[in-house]
Amino acid sequence: MNNDSAENRMRDFFYSAMMLNSEVTYKTLKDLTDKKVIKSYRELIDIGILKRIADSEFDLNHDTEVKISKMLDSYNDIVKIAKRYSQIACANSIEVISCLDKAYPYNWKNLSGMPKVFYCRGRTSLIDSITLGGSVAVVGSRSPSKYAQYATDKICRELGDKGITIVSGMAYGIDRQAHISSVNTKGGTIAVLAGGVDNIYPPKNKDVYDLILSNGLIISEMPPGQQPLRQYFPSRNRLIAGLSDCTLIMEAGEVSGTLHTASFAASQGKEVFVLPNNIYYENALGGLKLLEDGGNVLLNSDSVIDSVARSVMYKRMNLGCPAELEYTDPGSDAFDHQMNIDVLRQLAKIKPEVLTDDNWKLIIKDALTLKPLCADDLCVITALPFYKVSKLLTELELNGTVCQDKGKYSLTFV
Amino acid sequence: MASKPNVARVYSCFASGSDSTVTLIEVSISPGIPTFSVIGLCDSSIRESEGRLRSAFKSAGFTMPKGHITIGISPAYMRKTGSGFDLAMALGILFASGQLYLPPDSKIYAEGELTLGGELKGTPGACLRLKKARDMDFDYKLIPQSECGSAGITGFRGQGINGLFELSGIFDGNQYKETAFEYEPASESDEFIDISLLKGQEKTKRALLISAAGFHNILLMGSPGSGKTMAGRILSGLLPKLNPDELSDVFSLIELVEGDASKISYERPVRMIGPNITVGKLIGNALTLSPGEMALANKGILFADELPLYKSEVLDFLRYPLEERKVHLMKRGNLYSFDTNFIFLGTGNPCKCGLMYEKGNKCRCTANEVRKYLSKINGPFLDRIDLFSEMRSVSGKDMASIYTDESKGESLEYRKIVERCWQTAHERYGGDNLNATFPEEDIRDSMRIPENVVKYASELSDKGFFSARGFTRILRVARTIADINESSDVSVEDIAEAAQFRIRGF
Repeated sequence: MNNDSAENRMRDFFYSAMMLNSEVTYKTLKDLTDKKVIKSYRELIDIGILKRIADSEFDLNHDTEVKISKMLDSYNDIVKIAKRYSQIACANSIEVISCLDKAYPYNWKNLSGMPKVFYCRGRTSLIDSITLGGSVAVVGSRSPSKYAQYATDKICRELGDKGITIVSGMAYGIDRQAHISSVNTKGGTIAVLAGGVDNIYPPKNKDVYDLILSNGLIISEMPPGQQPLRQYFPSRNRLIAGLSDCTLIMEAGEVSGTLHTASFAASQGKEVFVLPNNIYYENALGGLKLLEDGGNVLLNSDSVIDSVARSVMYKRMNLGCPAELEYTDPGSDAFDHQMNIDVLRQLAKIKPEVLTDDNWKLIIKDALTLKPLCADDLCVITALPFYKVSKLLTELELNGTVCQDKGKYSLTFV
Repeated sequence: MASKPNVARVYSCFASGSDSTVTLIEVSISPGIPTFSVIGLCDSSIRESEGRLRSAFKSAGFTMPKGHITIGISPAYMRKTGSGFDLAMALGILFASGQLYLPPDSKIYAEGELTLGGELKGTPGACLRLKKARDMDFDYKLIPQSECGSAGITGFRGQGINGLFELSGIFDGNQYKETAFEYEPASESDEFIDISLLKGQEKTKRALLISAAGFHNILLMGSPGSGKTMAGRILSGLLPKLNPDELSDVFSLIELVEGDASKISYERPVRMIGPNITVGKLIGNALTLSPGEMALANKGILFADELPLYKSEVLDFLRYPLEERKVHLMKRGNLYSFDTNFIFLGTGNPCKCGLMYEKGNKCRCTANEVRKYLSKINGPFLDRIDLFSEMRSVSGKDMASIYTDESKGESLEYRKIVERCWQTAHERYGGDNLNATFPEEDIRDSMRIPENVVKYASELSDKGFFSARGFTRILRVARTIADINESSDVSVEDIAEAAQFRIRGF
């Protein structure tokens, strides 16, 4: 049995090497399996069958025969590459999972176009647990606003504590935040990389990578050692959407890879939740347009949990598993509105001298809820001289209410 | 019969770098085959003077005496260069040969280059030489008329002459008249850009005021077209004018570099440098001992545009002069130093596209690209910058009001505040020291910073607002803010404001 599985592993490596290094496509494979020449892709390592295909012994498309015979020419190279993959995988304890294995994610089984073979590193048990534990894709801008980052942190923690796994792409910004917030929760986190699982991309996210490695899972459809190329990213987004029960768009500009993930999720029949944002904030327009097109509004984690629960329920019906999943109502934090801000704004215009520093701070905070502003803007809004505004800003920065980034102040929502 | 050598003595002066040395020129004529030799480590520009003298004598009606002419220029161990000794040598020859009457026991100072026609011309470095000669006791002081501007600035008294033909009147006719020199500032005008043009950029306006009031180095980063370069010219308008002493210091260097073309102005110098500047141009040429841009910016502003594009080695060479406020040149084992007491004003874009500070998310640079772009400005260099302000393009409404509002003279009001602050600082520290340039490290007592204010500043420091090195910098800036607010002690509010000008985004 052990020997057998080792041989299967080699066949999987061979398959990956072949897909990357020859002209053989999914269409070729489909032709071969449809005509019952081979039972599964694993048989392709057999040079005898390959030769027979190339010699037109079967009734196959001409295209298929040409591609197989071309592949046959570089057969030895491909075997060599496959062996190298195997070495890297052994050295880095990278596991291979194929669609013929039991461990293959249930969520992918029902979708077309998912990889036959993928690689993973870390807590492999997560793949099994997402089937009935539920999983949510959290994606968004690489340079998010403080607001989106805060929401990501809060919601990912809440979902994670409910046992839902957070799936994301380990990019900067929202992805990074989603992983960090969920890695130590009950649900855990899965990062889907565009390159090989041993290839940390972006390299600056090594800290997150290590974090996920110790307590989460990293997967990729690319073999070990493969560089993340530009064209792999859309495919990666497809996997993220496919692996999860619903997708959260935290913040997306008008031209954004995040929108790809959303459209994959929608085409796979999954629910898409979009964090509502300020309509004047340009970096959130893509997400808002999704809302306009009928996306769900992400108000709190409850609606997401409901959606995941529904999806899990269907899966359980199909699988015939009786285990109950418990979802309790999370306590909602009532956001207490302090003093009436309208009154303050009126006072600031008519009688600015009666306002205290704390009143002014409220006015500044109120102005910043709309969008990040620079100090000069705040001078104009409050009609205060700069030295006064600067003093207030330093105090707000000191207690962590606002922070400055790229020359603009924004709320930290703490 | 052995002929007794007849030696005539005339004094002149020689400037090298920022120093000048009084030189004694001795002329001896002895009978023999006509020769002409100049001794005392002179370069060819001095030795070539034989030709100029011969022709000038002829033009002015004198003759070159026959016989051995030996001219010794002392101190003989110093290398000397330039044509400024012509007049002194000519006088020496004329006295020694008896063509002019040398009043007994009189000390004569003379400088200037002769043309072949016998006219007298000024040479670079006049200001430095005349400053030296001013304080010494001479009976006759003769300088070229064209150096009268330099003479006026240094307070030199003497007589300006146009050519050799005036000499017989002075010595034989006894018409020497010692006078002070008048000079006219070239373009004495208040034509600087008014600070009111920085509409809607309150932070930058305040930063410029503080910079001028305390002589703080300042860095402005912002979008293309946000008026960074303009801000540089505004800053020079906020600074008080040079006093006569400072003017002579400043002018002596400008004159050394620009020669006759240099203009006399009470405005403080603004030296613009660009990213293509070399280290040599910045610190000066050790071979010719000509001052570099840093020395020329002394008492004014060194304005470095597009700072992130500079080679990092250039910025490294700026570090020491910014700290010590002096730049040193080595030539043949001698150390020559120039004062570099200037406000460093740096400007630049915050990222590759430059739009980082704009409204909304126009900037598409990634965090990595921004880091890469700004990485050339290294930390130790930034440690010497006191004030930082972001700038962004002026909105259309503010732009329109710039052209409609006639609010000129805001700069003049600011300048009054700056002058008051300077006076306060001079009284507090003595000498020319200002808040940023006061050399002592322990400034707590001298700057009157109460205990609770220091505590507040250290609280900010703990929260990661600034580094330990930034700590004293913040205190100094806060002191200037307190001066602007006319308060004797630094308050917590001043620190809070100063903290907003700390450097961020690097």
